[in-house]
Amino acid sequence: MVNLTIDGKQITVSKSATIYEAAREAGIDIPVLCYAKKLLPYGACRVCLVEVEQMKGRLIPSCTTPVTEGMIVRTMSDEIRKVRKTVLEFLLVNHVVDCPVCDKGGECDLQDLTYEYEVVTNRFAGEKFDLEKDEVNPLIERNMNRCVLCGKCVRVCDEIVAYGSYSFINRGFETKIATAFDRGLDCEFCGQCVSMCPVGALLPRPFKFKARPWQLKEVDSVCGYCGNGCTVTLGVLNNKVETIRFNDKIGVNDGNLCVRGRFGSSYVNSGERLTKPLVKRDGQLVEADWDEALAVISAGLKKAQDGKGVGVISGARLTNEELFLVKNLASVIGTANLDHSGGECYKGVTEGLKQTLGVTASTGTFPQVEEADVILSIRSDFYETHPVFGMTVNQAVKRREAQLFIVGDKNGKFDKLPGAKTLLHKPGLEVNVLNALCQELIASGKAVTDGVNGLDALTQALAAYTPEKVAALTGVSAELIRAAAAALAGAKRSAILLAYGLPYTAQSREIAIAAANLALLSGNVGKEGSGLYLCGEKANSQGAIDLGVLPGPGGMGAQQMLTAAGKGELSALYIVGEDIVSSYPDRDKALKALAGADFVVVHDLFMTPTAALADVVLPAASFAEKDGTFTNAERRIQKVRAGISSPGEAKTDGAILAQVIACLGSSVSYTGPAALFAAVAESAGYTGIAYDQIGPQGVVWGGESLTVKHKNLIAVAGAEPVAGDYVLLTGSALHHSGTVSTRATGPNAVVSEGYVEFGSEDAKALKLREGDQVALKANGVELKLKAKIGKRLPKGVLFAPYHFSSAQINTLYKGEAAVAVQVVR
Amino acid sequence: MIKEFAQGLWITFKHMLPGNSTTVQYPRVERLPTAERFRGLHRLVPAQDREKCVACYLCPTVCPAKCITVESGENEKGEKYPVVYKIDLLRCIFCGYCVEACPVEAIEMTGEYELANYSRDDFTYEKQRLLR
Repeated sequence: MVNLTIDGKQITVSKSATIYEAAREAGIDIPVLCYAKKLLPYGACRVCLVEVEQMKGRLIPSCTTPVTEGMIVRTMSDEIRKVRKTVLEFLLVNHVVDCPVCDKGGECDLQDLTYEYEVVTNRFAGEKFDLEKDEVNPLIERNMNRCVLCGKCVRVCDEIVAYGSYSFINRGFETKIATAFDRGLDCEFCGQCVSMCPVGALLPRPFKFKARPWQLKEVDSVCGYCGNGCTVTLGVLNNKVETIRFNDKIGVNDGNLCVRGRFGSSYVNSGERLTKPLVKRDGQLVEADWDEALAVISAGLKKAQDGKGVGVISGARLTNEELFLVKNLASVIGTANLDHSGGECYKGVTEGLKQTLGVTASTGTFPQVEEADVILSIRSDFYETHPVFGMTVNQAVKRREAQLFIVGDKNGKFDKLPGAKTLLHKPGLEVNVLNALCQELIASGKAVTDGVNGLDALTQALAAYTPEKVAALTGVSAELIRAAAAALAGAKRSAILLAYGLPYTAQSREIAIAAANLALLSGNVGKEGSGLYLCGEKANSQGAIDLGVLPGPGGMGAQQMLTAAGKGELSALYIVGEDIVSSYPDRDKALKALAGADFVVVHDLFMTPTAALADVVLPAASFAEKDGTFTNAERRIQKVRAGISSPGEAKTDGAILAQVIACLGSSVSYTGPAALFAAVAESAGYTGIAYDQIGPQGVVWGGESLTVKHKNLIAVAGAEPVAGDYVLLTGSALHHSGTVSTRATGPNAVVSEGYVEFGSEDAKALKLREGDQVALKANGVELKLKAKIGKRLPKGVLFAPYHFSSAQINTLYKGEAAVAVQVVR
Repeated sequence: MIKEFAQGLWITFKHMLPGNSTTVQYPRVERLPTAERFRGLHRLVPAQDREKCVACYLCPTVCPAKCITVESGENEKGEKYPVVYKIDLLRCIFCGYCVEACPVEAIEMTGEYELANYSRDDFTYEKQRLLR
């Protein structure tokens, strides 16, 4: 710690702090333009100049100068004021003063400083910039006439997003920020640069000319897409979510968001939202009022109870409170057939972890990953399923020089990070590679085996997984396997990342066990700061697991329910917030189930292909319209808050479920959200957490490091590679999440339809060009898709995202790791 | 005493003589010109092919009576313009802050004060009515 004096105030700060950070800690305000909490100090704008007694004779930039013992700092004097004013005058020489038409007006740092320092005239004359605006892309507007060259966009894109879209070009007065070859922006469109820009040079286009910042009501909530649980601050005007506001004060994400979080919330304002209950009459869904719909539901469910039973399938974007009511509904109906999220994907993973470690959640928290020195990401899609968690990994690698290994069947964003090594295997062989890592740890004697059960059995079973053998089968080099194993064993703090979701159901139990084995043998489990991260695809996947929205004793899981319904062995299906036709593996099975069940109820926001086949469709509320809690992938329970009211007669799933339960003769009555949460906490095992305790940072259940119940090593067999000239992988694409993002204008503006991605080598061999129509044939199904050509896929591997219902990827994909396909031009 | 009485009456009767009356025969005979800084009905200033207003939202923000409604949009040239500009005269207190706040001198106040009307709706002045 270092002691210093700022403006007569005695301050003690850590020795790595800068003067600016010390002042801010002491509550002293120093103006800045180029400083941002999450970026490295830069010192471009010269607005933060201060006087230091020990460095007399010149002014010192406070944001780049580290504190030293006994420093005496003055943050304001006549001279400082004069110099800062001059700096502002310099900035305003070329800066166009178009505040009336600039959307930044009202929250512009330059505008605020100009006002504060009373820069009413300019002593310097110069030409105003007259550069062309970049409005080629649909999401980010770049107007370099307003740029003050603080470099925040350049730095955030490099340091945090690790994409590197921007750089300074030219010199002197001509300096400007530009993309490669000064062309239009074409990037991930996460909008991080927009959130960092202190002026109006980078603005969100969907919000262009919509409102002034001071008109917006800000509501802090949690993003409804992936399991990362980023705080999104809804900017609400006239009961409409107009934009997502920058907020780095609260939450887990430090103000970072991905394209989905920042630009993907427009579906809540969509005109296609369901606004009235629909009931099937004479084969047609027609509008009805709530009483009528509820009467039909209660009659239908009662009939099914007496018949062959009811199955309840839930999505994982419901709040904990709503999932609790889903469970309640199942028990009121008297059925054990209850499940969520396709059944297989989460189930295998959690079962595997339960057997090995006795827990079904991540053992660490996100900030620990930032300080890890070795990170192993299982599946290269990790950045695409959880982009903001990916940014945490970027920072660990770029800033703290963590070593990153990726076990993946394709290359991805991660392997462009410095020093990152991809263990690129043939599709579907993750387990083989993980087994080889375990084998290598045991064989080299580096394995941590204290208190671990089942080592001998595992050693025997893994004899066939020596690096050489696995290398021959999977295509990963044996040296790389050895290097990764050695790095993991030697790590002070390691992180093993594993994501799951609907398109990743194959071998999920095996992958979880193999990952847990690796975590145990590498000493990751139980070590301070290390963790195994289990990341659910949906916003509340973890909550659904914690609450046990799972088949009861003797009950059927989601896939079994669908099979049973398809055969006519289940009378009714009650589906809450899930488009099973579009997103579940095996579309035929889902369609057969919906046709086979006598009575189908669906809650949804939109008329999805699933809802279209239902007997009753109830209009539900989006994440922006409800209160409750989500549990994210690091076990953090955070509050979701309603920003707007639902369109028409739509109600929250919770309100609908309570009414349905009442119709069935039972009742749920809680005095308020706190009482309901208490019931949820009891059911989910969130012991000692009360609703009022959940502050802006949320509450992590189980502590920063979750203690595992036991340490069992279990041998799992790997797979055989899929034969065929071309194999199709499915998965998540960066711009979309689940199926609802395909209704949002932002993500759609970038990727609006299904596609199949080819590696450049394959594209050359097939003489394909970007945008060509190709047909994929397998299992007697032919799919026509647009071709996209990238550099990340190895030869013979194709990739198609599963989000788009119209692309019908799930007619080919039935839950296997990869599908052998024929490509026809 | 009579002298004083007559004097008083003279002053009174003098006002009845033609040319000495201060009563304005409004509205049939005459209307007085308003002062230059009189704050009457608002006017949106037209520019060449559009209104001068750029929909910066300063007038609705500063308005103490909250009588101005602006909704901005983008025209074909990519410029910001008011899609809706509405003043509810029943709420307006004619303080002139909107004129003062305007950064582009797009709104001013005219001398017009004859604003009576028959229905409430007629007091809502839309953009076209204000552009004169």
